[in-house]
Amino acid sequence: MEKRMKIKPSTLLIFLAAAIFVIVIPNTNEGYSMMIVNLGLIYAIATYGVSVMLGMGGQLSFATVSFMGVGAYITANLCSGRNGINMNTALALVIALLASALLAFGAGLILFRLKGTYFTFATIGLVQVSWSFYLSYKPLFGGPDGISNISTLNLFGFSPKNYNDWFYILAAFVLVIAFLVERVRRSQLGRSLAAIRDNEIAAQTLGINVYMTKVVAFTIAGVLAAVAGSLYAMHSQFVSSDMFTYERATTYIIMAMLGGVNNTAGIFVGSVLVTMLPEWLRFMQQYLQLIYGIGVILLMVFMPMGLAGLASGFAKSLKRKLYSKKKVTAGKEGPKQ
Amino acid sequence: MKPILRLDKVCKRFGGVVAADDVTFSVLPGEVHGLIGPNGAGKSTLMNLISGIYTPDSGKIFLDEQDISDVPSHMRARMGIGRTFQTPRFLQRSSIEDNLLLGTDLANQFGYLKSYFGKKGSDFEKELKELMKFVDFTFDWEDDISALAYGQRKQLEIVRSMLSHPKVMLVDEPAAGLNNKEIDDVMALLNYAAKERGIGILLIEHSMDMIMNICEDIVVLSFGKVIGTGCPAEVSSNEAVIEAYLGRDVNA
Repeated sequence: MEKRMKIKPSTLLIFLAAAIFVIVIPNTNEGYSMMIVNLGLIYAIATYGVSVMLGMGGQLSFATVSFMGVGAYITANLCSGRNGINMNTALALVIALLASALLAFGAGLILFRLKGTYFTFATIGLVQVSWSFYLSYKPLFGGPDGISNISTLNLFGFSPKNYNDWFYILAAFVLVIAFLVERVRRSQLGRSLAAIRDNEIAAQTLGINVYMTKVVAFTIAGVLAAVAGSLYAMHSQFVSSDMFTYERATTYIIMAMLGGVNNTAGIFVGSVLVTMLPEWLRFMQQYLQLIYGIGVILLMVFMPMGLAGLASGFAKSLKRKLYSKKKVTAGKEGPKQ
Repeated sequence: MKPILRLDKVCKRFGGVVAADDVTFSVLPGEVHGLIGPNGAGKSTLMNLISGIYTPDSGKIFLDEQDISDVPSHMRARMGIGRTFQTPRFLQRSSIEDNLLLGTDLANQFGYLKSYFGKKGSDFEKELKELMKFVDFTFDWEDDISALAYGQRKQLEIVRSMLSHPKVMLVDEPAAGLNNKEIDDVMALLNYAAKERGIGILLIEHSMDMIMNICEDIVVLSFGKVIGTGCPAEVSSNEAVIEAYLGRDVNA
């Protein structure tokens, strides 16, 4: 029952892999391929929201794209000069964050009147509603043409000149957000969400306000999606409604499931892999959807906890093997039965 | 002494089934109060009424002389009603440490934000060490809860509830599925909770050994009605109780 050791080898390994990623990728890629990696990083931020909702709290929500849209369109309106406004981009990011927090909180209060599957279906409804607005309402969302000429991010005078510059900024965002999300998991909020995921009645008897805790998680997921949306708008300098369809919404769920829905490092790996996959499989593009679909089915059957589950299962069996070897030697040396 | 938990004419029916019919009794602080009755007598329903999972159709429930009949379940837990379940309810995919910390979280009550920024409340490790004296097994913090045997989990659920500093603890069949040594440990733990911590314990149990051993007071339910109260000796010689448990003699 002794308290744990300071740093686990797996944590060390993850940081090592992250460092290699940050050093190698921008030095071997540029232009288009760098842009794809950057998109993977942006999607990872939104997928961390899925991790908080689905991984920690067991609540399946498709609303990621709705709030990504909120972040993206707020930024687009404030930083493209289309309404005569051309605001500081960092300020626009903060405004997008606060506005999405309010909206997500309000939406959460309403949506969590429903439970389980009913809640999930309601979020699908929300996605359809928000997408119709994004597609059709010209004054705010530019209609089918979207909004272009969005300024690129300017962080205290530093402005990325190419996709490689962007990579470092996005990597920093992902790192900070990954840290914040991991902290959620290890604080009271994460434990409360885990309790709700496993058994709502038991959670209540442990003093957890099930309804409000879900709303808080939904708000966090909304804010993360909006930050991703805002960064997306500045990175691509263009926003249109086809980024925020129901089909896109399912992608974030798949990213989370592939990586490991309740694993901070896994979420990142899953997001980048799912973003890169269409590029790697470009030569068989007409079969892409087929491969994708089969992949998802196989994923659910053979590794429901994703790549992270696979890795931790491997680590556990390795540990067991080493441990049982020790036991055998002890048995040999000990008295015979 | 003022009762810590008091039920006043509590009624609850599900369709035509009367699960609680005019139930009135009270639990004193530092007392182990037995709640017994044949299967289907409404014992677990009563626990659910007290912890707020059900609301009573009529009647009132008082905690520390404060009416809590309309208080939602999670608020009742925060006010000091702890409980354990017939089958222990833990986070299946979380470490033992996280599972136990849920109890400490309930004791702390300073909210998600302060906890997020690293505020530590009551001394989890010290308290846990104190409580673990009563159970006869060790574990690794990092292990999943599934690494523990059923009986160990049942004991740990009582430990978790005690970490939350309850005023009243509702303990649902702690001895079911435990071996004799474990039952002794549980009795020692419950005794410690009542005598040293002053917690009022409401204990559902089918093991008469355990009930007769540690309860000062007993209330007997049958078909939702209180059919007998008193100390173990009184209850075990009560005609109505014997009838409910053994049936009426045809020739009587």
